[in-house]
Amino acid sequence: MTPSSVEELSDVVASCNRSGERIAIEGGNTLAGMGVPVRAPYAHLRTASLTAVVEDAPTDLVVAAQGGITLRNLATQLAAHGTHIPFDAPLAHQATLGGTLAAGWLGPRRHLYGRPRDYVIGSVAVLADGTIARAGGMVVKNVSGYDMSRLYVGAFGTLGIIAQANMKTTALPPHARIFIAPLPEGTRRRALASVVSLRIAPAAAFWVEGFHQSIDGEDGHEGRLIVLLEGSAALLERSTRDLRSALGRAGVPETQILDTGAREAFGRIVDAYVSCLGERSVTYRISAHGQSLVDRVLAARLLADRFELRADTLADAMNDDIILRVSDLDSHALGAKIAMFDDAFHDDEPGATVVAGAHPQRASLNVWGELPDAFDRMRALKARFDPNGTLNPGRFIGGI
Amino acid sequence: MLVSRLLDAVGADAVKFAPEDLSVYAFDGYTQGRAPSAVVLPRSAADVSAVVKIAREFGEPIVPRGAGTGLCGGAVPIEGGIVISFARMNRILELDVRGRRARVQPGLVNLDLSTRVAAHDLFFAPDPSSQKVSTIGGNIGTNAGGPHCLQYGTTVNHVLGLEIVDSFGEVFTTTLDGAGYDLTAALVGSEGTLGIVTSAWVRLQRLPESVRVWVAAFPSIDAASEAVSAIVAAGIIPTALEMMDRVIAQAVEAAFHAGYPTDAGAILLIENAGFEDDMRACEEGLYRIVHANGALSWHTARSQSERDALWAGRKGAAGAVGRLAQNYYLQDVCVPRSKLPQALRAVEAAAREHRLIVGNVFHAGDGNLHPMILYDKRDPLQVAGVIETGNAILSSAVALGGTVSGEHGIGYEKREAMTQIYSTGDLATMARVRDVFDPTLMFNPEKIFPSGARCPEVRA
Ligand SMILES: Cc1cc2nc3c(=O)[nH]c(=O)nc-3n(C[C@H](O)[C@H](O)[C@H](O)COP(=O)(O)OP(=O)(O)OC[C@H]3O[C@@H](n4cnc5c(N)ncnc54)[C@H](O)[C@@H]3O)c2cc1C
Repeated sequence: MTPSSVEELSDVVASCNRSGERIAIEGGNTLAGMGVPVRAPYAHLRTASLTAVVEDAPTDLVVAAQGGITLRNLATQLAAHGTHIPFDAPLAHQATLGGTLAAGWLGPRRHLYGRPRDYVIGSVAVLADGTIARAGGMVVKNVSGYDMSRLYVGAFGTLGIIAQANMKTTALPPHARIFIAPLPEGTRRRALASVVSLRIAPAAAFWVEGFHQSIDGEDGHEGRLIVLLEGSAALLERSTRDLRSALGRAGVPETQILDTGAREAFGRIVDAYVSCLGERSVTYRISAHGQSLVDRVLAARLLADRFELRADTLADAMNDDIILRVSDLDSHALGAKIAMFDDAFHDDEPGATVVAGAHPQRASLNVWGELPDAFDRMRALKARFDPNGTLNPGRFIGGI
Repeated sequence: MLVSRLLDAVGADAVKFAPEDLSVYAFDGYTQGRAPSAVVLPRSAADVSAVVKIAREFGEPIVPRGAGTGLCGGAVPIEGGIVISFARMNRILELDVRGRRARVQPGLVNLDLSTRVAAHDLFFAPDPSSQKVSTIGGNIGTNAGGPHCLQYGTTVNHVLGLEIVDSFGEVFTTTLDGAGYDLTAALVGSEGTLGIVTSAWVRLQRLPESVRVWVAAFPSIDAASEAVSAIVAAGIIPTALEMMDRVIAQAVEAAFHAGYPTDAGAILLIENAGFEDDMRACEEGLYRIVHANGALSWHTARSQSERDALWAGRKGAAGAVGRLAQNYYLQDVCVPRSKLPQALRAVEAAAREHRLIVGNVFHAGDGNLHPMILYDKRDPLQVAGVIETGNAILSSAVALGGTVSGEHGIGYEKREAMTQIYSTGDLATMARVRDVFDPTLMFNPEKIFPSGARCPEVRA
């Protein structure tokens, strides 16, 4: 089923809901590695024909588009007016607006620009019973009842299908520059601490170990540091000076700088968040809030080591996010260990979630980590919005 | 009976029940309701939970209350019941400087938070003009905005998690970390109808390196609003972009001597903050645009004290207007930013029709209008005119693609206006959320949802 209008979408969903047929909602399938596959049997519902830009209002710095538009196409249209929405989602040529929002995707520049949800100003959602529900509007401030639009963000389609999202936009930063520095022994902690406390915050900063096929640069003794600067030419000049002297003090030697190709290199980092090595890898995401990022990454790497798994790590220093990809020589070798590793890892990191991995065992892992405190309310909300369990049943936390 | 149970649960000093103590809780910044049966001043989530359980037993509604500065009747006990006031829960519980976040109690006054974290180079971005008295709990209740929300976004963008007491007295927490529905977003702006906030994790911002404040004067509101639209259209989002007209500027100058010209038709107060060199480039861009739109003058504030004075004048505008008229009614609507000129013309026309004077002081960069209609409530003719003018402004904002409240909320005042922007199905969808959190409508009844029209059941 590939409805091409919101009304058609509503009809299709309502009729499935009546007949007891379950629906798996598919956008670009780029984040299919998050969560549990929908309980079979089900009908595929693709948003691929809901791709219209419904209202493009560049002079208001807002845009409304249908849920199936790809982030790349939306970005191209916005870039023509010099604006953007910083989704920082992987595989933007394939990822859809609705899917990215529904998955609650969080990228590395959010500490500076805010989360995708912070850009949402309105929505049209199709609920399980076919209700076409509008919320918010095309204005940037709006306190009129409950913020339904944000409730659909991160709900994995289980409350309603995001048929349209209305978004704020912001001016595209004119310049971007990337620094890559292999980290010599004993420099990692100081380098990261100094980057995080720079007076002018970088747009993104990572400590990477591994991910050689996907992310630029070579590891030093303690991995590599990659910093993205964005803004005016003057800001880049000033930040470059500050960064150089901070890294110098931390004992990190002269670095490689990318000006042309900086955005593409950044895109490769974002893509790596969900990169898979076929069936022989599983990728976890954890948020390291409040505690030492370095310690947690090292602990995760050590654990992988104990299981004789290869670990590639990507630590986002500005947001304290960690991406850990564990892999083995082949699917079989990984299969022999992954369940035990998953248990052990969740002992240390109860909140770890799985974000990618094509291994057949992925679905049996603890892909969502521990349930949130308010889980009972979430289940009640699901029951009130989708009592028959029509929309993406089983995909979300706790079997929702 | 009710009172004695409350006294047993939370202690004698935490309950008010003498009629003369209760009457002040019948009001907020908008209207008067009934005096509550009791007011409780809890010290903890456990106190709140105990009170909610007792209220449920007695079938009494509960109305949470911050500072009562709300402008839509949100904190007013329309049906009486128990008011929970957070005046005693006003502490910062935790401060994580490195992570730039703090856990605070709901009764903490907005400005106190910024003042107390300033030593760490941090501040709390949402800054309603009422920030000297309004509370974080009230700001969360209304998803409050403020001049600086132009760049930083409204309160919802600054709340990372909540501790909530639900309508059965159970305590739960919400967080933006980790998977799960974004209950935080649902609760922020829910005006006390879904749950009672007993603490909040809020995001703090680093104080900027450099701040500039400019004042541009224009011959007319029209010219100033064209300039605002042009600034936004050029992709320039300063940290604040506020407008005031001559009526307000004169009142503000008489009250504060803040430094605004009093002979201009309209004034823009513009602030930008960040990296020093960018300020210069931004100033050049702004200068060009305001002059292309007929600015009469352009002034850069030279010192911190001059900037502070300008801001004090802006944030004190409502108080200053008190000198001009017996009463004023403050409308709050939001329109697409390119529609500002039309929206302001509609305000002007509506007021003229009823021979009323309007002062405009508002968050222009967001398209968030705040016309203040001056009147004398002893004159029934004027009162009727104010109501009609307010309604006309509301309808014209909706007709321009706008909304019925930019930041003050729906509360009691605007619940019937919800049908101007939402269908029955849209409202029923919201009501499903209410059903989950507060199925018996015990929390802040008669708010947000239109009377009568509430949730015709939508079921498959
Ligand atoms: C002079 C003046 C200027 C103003 N300027 C602005 C402005 O610039 N921007 C803006 O947005 N608003 C502004 N306001 C409106 C008002 O100050 C805001 O709505 C503010 O957020 C209300 O805070 P409060 O503490 O007074 O809350 P109250 O008025 O006491 O309550 C507001 C709402 O929140 C609910 N509530 C309170 N505490 C809790 C809690 N702990 N848990 C759950 N719900 C709760 C109440 O039930 C009510 O519905 C202004 C008001 C005045 C009088």
